[in-house]
Amino acid sequence: MTLKGDPDEALVARIGRGDQAAVQSLVARKLPRMLQLAQRMLNDAAEAEDVAQEVFVRAWKQATAWTPGAARFDTWLHRVALNLCYDRLRRRREYSMAEPPDQVDTGPAPDRGLLAADTGVRVTAALAALPDRQREAVVLCHYQDLGNIEAASLMGISVEALESLLSRGRRALRAALADLRE
Amino acid sequence: MMDAQRFEALADAHGGLIARWPAEVQDDAFAWLAQAPEAAQAVLTDALALDEALDVLRPPQPSAALRDAVLAAAPRQKQTWSLGRWLAGAGVGAALATASVAGVMIGTQVSTAPAEVSDEAVMSASTDDDWIVLPETESQS
Repeated sequence: MTLKGDPDEALVARIGRGDQAAVQSLVARKLPRMLQLAQRMLNDAAEAEDVAQEVFVRAWKQATAWTPGAARFDTWLHRVALNLCYDRLRRRREYSMAEPPDQVDTGPAPDRGLLAADTGVRVTAALAALPDRQREAVVLCHYQDLGNIEAASLMGISVEALESLLSRGRRALRAALADLRE
Repeated sequence: MMDAQRFEALADAHGGLIARWPAEVQDDAFAWLAQAPEAAQAVLTDALALDEALDVLRPPQPSAALRDAVLAAAPRQKQTWSLGRWLAGAGVGAALATASVAGVMIGTQVSTAPAEVSDEAVMSASTDDDWIVLPETESQS
């Protein structure tokens, strides 16, 4: 994937002028996407909502000063969301040094259907158990459907390093979920 | 250069759908699939099983409360006074003043209800060309 053209550029310009229809459109397009990113990275619905909301607080400020060409707006949103997620993951680690670690949330979540509940719980736990950078690579490429160049750029690594993280992450997931395939 | 090892490495990293692999390797991958269909298909099937397990997690839907909070923080239209609107307002004011004087004069003879300018009338006097521009900026990364 190349970084040419930003499909959100015109929309962001309209938001900068206060166009409420453009605001509604961006929220419809990006809020579920940011919520999913934060949910997969943090495995905590409440924290994911906080992150998604904060991403948009910053997006509204950015929209009035957005300079096309430096980065796609969607990529910028991902960068903001990932920074916020890593802030929270860092705080968790600091907290867990003083307190016993929380159990992985295996309770029901809104994105799991009844028939897929068991698999969903297992996949959620397997994703949560991945090292942060492997989880980030899998989330960006599989769930956020970013191309390898864009994902690597977001993570500040080469496409080769991204491929390595993806391979290791998916291999760990396959091992953790091996019994589901039997 | 595509071979069995590279094909497997790509499936390991990017999953069982060649269409989701990096664009620059897709042609070679499809060519390899045609060249060694059984082995290549087995690799894809194996990778696809993990894709399908991951896809059990559906995208979470934002709550109404979250959506409302996000929308409430968005830049919105601001009612401000421009020269044209000021003149229009001055005109309304002058008319009201005239009406008041007339009312006082007439009021000596006839009792009248107090005149009011409705919210609707005030709103219709405004234009749509003034918007909040947030002063803060944030560096792009």
